[in-house]
Amino acid sequence: MSALKLHFESHPKLIRWGYILSIIGIIALVAGFSTEAFSADPEISSHFWGTLMYNSIFWTLVCNAVMFFICITTLAMAGFTQSFRRVAEAISTLVPIFGTIAFLVLIYQIISHNHHIYHWLDKDAVAHDPILKGKSGFLNPTFFVIWTFLAIGLWSFLGYRIRKISSEADQGPMSPEQGKAYIWKNTVNASLFIVWFALTVGSTIHWLWTMSIDPHWYSTMFSWYNFASTFVSGMSLIAIWVIFMKKNNYLELTNQEHIHDIGKFMFGFSIFWTYLWFSQFMLIWYANIPEETVYFYHRMHGPYKFFFYANLVINFVCPILILMKRKAKRNYNLMIFMSILIILGHWMDFYQEFMGSIQKSHANMGWLDFGVLCFFVGILLLGVNKALGKKPLIPVYHPFIKESVIHHV
Amino acid sequence: MHLKYESQLREPLVYGEKTYGQVTEDILKPIERKPSKLWYVGFFISSALLLFGVYSVYRDVTYGIGQWNLNKTVGWGWDITNFVWWVGIGHAGTLISAILLLFRQGWRTGVNRAAEAMTIFAVLCAGQFPVFHMGRVWMAFYTLPLPNTRGPLWPNFNSPLLWDVFAISTYLTVSLLFWYSGLIPDLATVRDRAKTKFTKLMYGIGSFGWSGSTKHWQRHESLCLVLAGLSTPLVLSVHTIVSFDFATSVIPGWHTTIFPPYFVAGAVFSGFAMVQSLMLVVRKVFGMEDYITIGHIEAMNKVIVLTGSIVGVAYLTELFMGWYSQNKYEGYTFWYSRANLFSPYGWSYWGMMACNVLSPQIFWFRSMRRNIFVTFFMSVIVNIGMWFERFVIIVTSLYRDYLPSSWSIYYSPSPWEIGFFVGTFGLFFTCFFMFSKYAPVIAVAEIKYILKTSGESFKNKITKIETEPLDKFVDEQKHAH
Repeated sequence: MSALKLHFESHPKLIRWGYILSIIGIIALVAGFSTEAFSADPEISSHFWGTLMYNSIFWTLVCNAVMFFICITTLAMAGFTQSFRRVAEAISTLVPIFGTIAFLVLIYQIISHNHHIYHWLDKDAVAHDPILKGKSGFLNPTFFVIWTFLAIGLWSFLGYRIRKISSEADQGPMSPEQGKAYIWKNTVNASLFIVWFALTVGSTIHWLWTMSIDPHWYSTMFSWYNFASTFVSGMSLIAIWVIFMKKNNYLELTNQEHIHDIGKFMFGFSIFWTYLWFSQFMLIWYANIPEETVYFYHRMHGPYKFFFYANLVINFVCPILILMKRKAKRNYNLMIFMSILIILGHWMDFYQEFMGSIQKSHANMGWLDFGVLCFFVGILLLGVNKALGKKPLIPVYHPFIKESVIHHV
Repeated sequence: MHLKYESQLREPLVYGEKTYGQVTEDILKPIERKPSKLWYVGFFISSALLLFGVYSVYRDVTYGIGQWNLNKTVGWGWDITNFVWWVGIGHAGTLISAILLLFRQGWRTGVNRAAEAMTIFAVLCAGQFPVFHMGRVWMAFYTLPLPNTRGPLWPNFNSPLLWDVFAISTYLTVSLLFWYSGLIPDLATVRDRAKTKFTKLMYGIGSFGWSGSTKHWQRHESLCLVLAGLSTPLVLSVHTIVSFDFATSVIPGWHTTIFPPYFVAGAVFSGFAMVQSLMLVVRKVFGMEDYITIGHIEAMNKVIVLTGSIVGVAYLTELFMGWYSQNKYEGYTFWYSRANLFSPYGWSYWGMMACNVLSPQIFWFRSMRRNIFVTFFMSVIVNIGMWFERFVIIVTSLYRDYLPSSWSIYYSPSPWEIGFFVGTFGLFFTCFFMFSKYAPVIAVAEIKYILKTSGESFKNKITKIETEPLDKFVDEQKHAH
């Protein structure tokens, strides 16, 4: 009888690449910090802080979207996810780390009154601008700090609880009653997470962090659109890690069928993202109200033109054409390629969302953007590598684990 | 080797010691016996309502839409409210058949047939309103881009109202095909059991000579999969385009980017509520408690609390943006015409909030989700609330437009406007009564498909497998390959 491989041995390649990438990232950060961060020219300093902002926020939200996936599949009583849920859990352990970085970066903008990024921090401007004055009940430093703290804090805390409850499925066989109670406990905690998620990622947090960079502009779709972006990236991140584990002979119970299902999520939610993109863009374009089109005008015609169109090609055309076929979703290498492409695509979407508002006159994606990206990917590799070793890779006594074994798509 | 394993912890989807034969017996019973008195009473009431609707429409066509109380600013009133409401209800069927099929939700088999039928009837009802709102209904074909002799007169392709024509007619076609292809094997079962020649002939024609051969099943399954794939984007597109009817405009309260997904969520919400109302009655009257179980009801209530909450987030988002935008027109619409309880239509906004956002929250509690009376009551409340949602959107945005001199008097419908709406209820229920008499209200073949994984008696037999250790289970599976 073959025993299941439950223990993850720290992977030397992961550690090596984790260090290489984070060191590259740190070098880029130090270089940026010394040359740009405190420049007298606000364009230059905002370039540095803006880059840190969109990267830290993107990676926090993507890892948090992985926890969202765990919770929503818990509520839907999904069985197929059980064989690889520990991988998703490991990714979600990065939420407090990335969240803290994002928190510090955001708080620094408030403390330093960086009104080049958040125009509403400029008291004089607000006093003379009736619109900003009217919004100051929401766009003010106190609320910003409290809400940011609560959002990141509760995502981390509720996620931690879910992971802790998950460990109970390692302790020993459960009787049907215990199994039911266990499922119930998971359900209650997952619902708490989802409610908080709806109040933050589903609504307020994107208005506060991102939309307020253009403090006059507004779109009711904005938060849902960003949610779709991070969710599909989160699914891609799960796909990469699960396939990595498969290639290293872990996760015996996970196979092509599970990858196929993850692929369906990537395919479906890429189209869902496009649907939200189109709905937001088309309605603004069609109504043609200057206060609204101002957001898209320079993105479509100005320096961000390339990113505007590349966004649609990478995040819509590629997934719909490449992931449509059953075979594609069952091909490990192709899935890795598509996952990386989708994550980079949405990372670039975040780039144009933030930088397109912070520095409207020019787009200069360059060494700093990729350097900071390396930093976050490096931390991700090291963090997930460590988290994977801490728990058995399969929740052997989870009541639904057998459903994950016999799983045919 | 098994293709699917289902934990004993999941509730059975079919109760009792059922065999395939019994499943057929149970579900086909209402078709094979004479309708009960209750059926006749219901059928006649619905037909009477339908006739009243026909008379109301007759007045509209003969005397023009002056028969309705639409006025200078409220050019869309009950008519379009009812249209959107019915289209919304027509979403649950395809959602259950297609999207839940893609998510492999076994419980859909208990309710999909009736939900699909309901979808078709609801879309039929919805279609009446824009058509008769035209006034000169004999010109309805002008909406179609037919090659014509009317010179340069073509429909306006830039108008979302025209997109509606395409979206809804496509949706109706695909839903009809989907529903009917699912029916074919079941109609053949009725044919094979028929006792009179006439019944045999009619169901024989209806089932297109279905023989149940492997080839037939193979083609049937691929057809259903293709139709499921087609209808998934369609079900999203229909209410998206209905939302465009409003959102492409520059009317405060209508022009908001969240409309498309929010309308879709609302449509699913109201559609599930209507499925609940109907299925609770069907299950009681036809004695189908073994097939439409409390578990089914609970699952649908979960969808209701989920979609209700999504809609709630959208309401609050809109309300917030009404303030955040600092646009005084948006602000006036949201904070005066709607959220101010003491404004002329404030009551309708708060009625909507109470029905759609607050009351479904009781479904966070398991005991409430599993309570039949609460469920039935809530399903009606949700449908009332969703009707008010459309009423609020349409009327409160229109009745005070940009030009105060044209601000209208309070809009309330005329008897013929109400009569038209009541008539569509007649149409809907007449169709539904006919359907429940002549077609199996539950998909017989699909219940058989899940019987051996989700049936109670079969689930009881797997205790041995359920309790064996995981690695032993995995080994057995490997060797079974």
